[in-house]
Amino acid sequence: MRRVSLGLTALMFLVISGILLGLVLYSPLPVLAGSLANPEIRFAILLSLATSVASTCICIAVAVPVAYALARYAFPGKRIATLVLTLPLTLPPLVAGIALLLFFGTTPWGKALENAGFAVIFTPLGIIVAEVFVNLPYMVRIMRSAFAAVNPRFEHVAKTLGCTDSGAFFQVALPMARHGLIAGTVITWAKAMGEFGAVLMLAGATTMRTETLPIALYLNISTGDVDRAVAAATILIFIAIAALCTVEYFDSDAGVF
Amino acid sequence: MAAMLSVESLSVLLGEFQLRNLSLAVQPGEYFIILGPTGAGKTILLETIAGIHQPDRGRIILGSREITRLEPRERNVGIVYQDYMLFPHLTVRENIAFGLKQQQVPKEGRRRAVEDISTLLRIDHLLDRYPDTLSGGEQQRTALARALVLKPCILLLDEPMNALDSRSRELLRHTLAAIQKQTGTTIVHITHHFEDVYLLADRIAIMRDGCIVQAGEPSNVFSHPADAFVADFLCIANLIRGVSTPAGKLARIVTNGQEFFAASDISGRVVATLHPEDVILSREPFASSARNCLEGTVREVIPVGSTVRVVLDVGFPLTALLTRESCHDLELGAGSRVFATFKATAVHVIAAAG
Repeated sequence: MRRVSLGLTALMFLVISGILLGLVLYSPLPVLAGSLANPEIRFAILLSLATSVASTCICIAVAVPVAYALARYAFPGKRIATLVLTLPLTLPPLVAGIALLLFFGTTPWGKALENAGFAVIFTPLGIIVAEVFVNLPYMVRIMRSAFAAVNPRFEHVAKTLGCTDSGAFFQVALPMARHGLIAGTVITWAKAMGEFGAVLMLAGATTMRTETLPIALYLNISTGDVDRAVAAATILIFIAIAALCTVEYFDSDAGVF
Repeated sequence: MAAMLSVESLSVLLGEFQLRNLSLAVQPGEYFIILGPTGAGKTILLETIAGIHQPDRGRIILGSREITRLEPRERNVGIVYQDYMLFPHLTVRENIAFGLKQQQVPKEGRRRAVEDISTLLRIDHLLDRYPDTLSGGEQQRTALARALVLKPCILLLDEPMNALDSRSRELLRHTLAAIQKQTGTTIVHITHHFEDVYLLADRIAIMRDGCIVQAGEPSNVFSHPADAFVADFLCIANLIRGVSTPAGKLARIVTNGQEFFAASDISGRVVATLHPEDVILSREPFASSARNCLEGTVREVIPVGSTVRVVLDVGFPLTALLTRESCHDLELGAGSRVFATFKATAVHVIAAAG
């Protein structure tokens, strides 16, 4: 048993690192550098960065109070609320994307938003909306377990020491849940950088307009430009490695996965 | 004298825990201990006084103010939990200064107040450390300092000795006694450690199922338990104050002209405790391995359920717990001459405070 399991572990390690290394080493360095300098790839990098940072900020702003409510307060319908809030976790992003497309494209609310100047369908704004919708549940889950790990008595003590409710939250609960917040932020951001299905559905795949890194990878591989596709993929791999290392570092008490 | 804390007909319902029509009065400067089994609602009572839970009915009056509906921060009540609840992301100094900072006390004033209180609690050398690097006793003293630095009208202690080893517990008891003497703070302390009662309490209350079953001076409650529950709950309670001197590997404890032996190496003024069920009664002295055999007179025979509490005078009051059958066979009644036998290892010795 011991030999089989250790052997399989070694094999898995070799297969995964081999496959990914194969991708990273596919293009010679000058070709890779050339692709990275290409305006289309540079646009994709910048658009991915901008949309992922924006969607991560929105996720934090919404998920932190929601997660706190789920961890601290009892209210009717809490179970069903928790279920619905975290449903997009297991929902295929394509399904989330088409649901969003229908919401913004066919309902009166979606039309009203568009008339108010918030055009979502096939626009960069749509990328942010799709990323928020898909990633919010991760942030909620991570922050909920981070807050649940903080004994409410810390806040009780803070209140007897002169804190208001929000004072106790910002000075005690949030700093004590900071590792969860850091891990959650990094995961949410990394997932936003790599989000494809929902973005494709809602924002489309328009070159130099809604072309994030994964979309660039998809567009270039469909047109046979392997070098550019590999360049986009290589960047995504490094982002994944950096994100995982950060999370490993902070995850000891955040309990993310 | 007006009470420092009055709790009037308080009812709180909180999941499976509740307080039912509970009333309580604590005098200024008093050390008040609430005893009760797990699940009696002791912590809820403290947290309701602190303002964490809103009562369904009843009033809480602190000093001359009614505080029933005030926010915790407006009450001037300090609370210390058994597991300290020190903020792990702040240093000891920042923990103690936390409340002063909320009150926007200027920096210099904060520094001085923190140093004064930490000197009093002998943690002034730890101020720049983080809580998780401190021992249990040091953490507990830090938690006390954090509460006391705000000069609360009343200090609530939730089983403060629970997580400590016996040596730290003893130290903390002395610290608490000293603090109370020096600052005159009124203290309400909940516990299930009887040792705390002997050494600290001015008055005690026994709590069960969200109610106060009995309250009064410890000696009164111990000698006149209100009902079978109190008697049962307190039945570990033979407490004998005396002076201990080493005698070989044992301690000779002298009280009121009578002496007995205990397996202990503590000397000086002590409180000895002895479970009533460890006391064997007989009409004639008999040879046994037990070190102590004292002659005395039966003062009172109190039936408690299927057992009987026999209160003796053997030079000091001593209670034995017997079955009804044994009591009947020995034909015990007030005035009977009996011998009380107990082992030196059955006697638990605690150093007395002060």
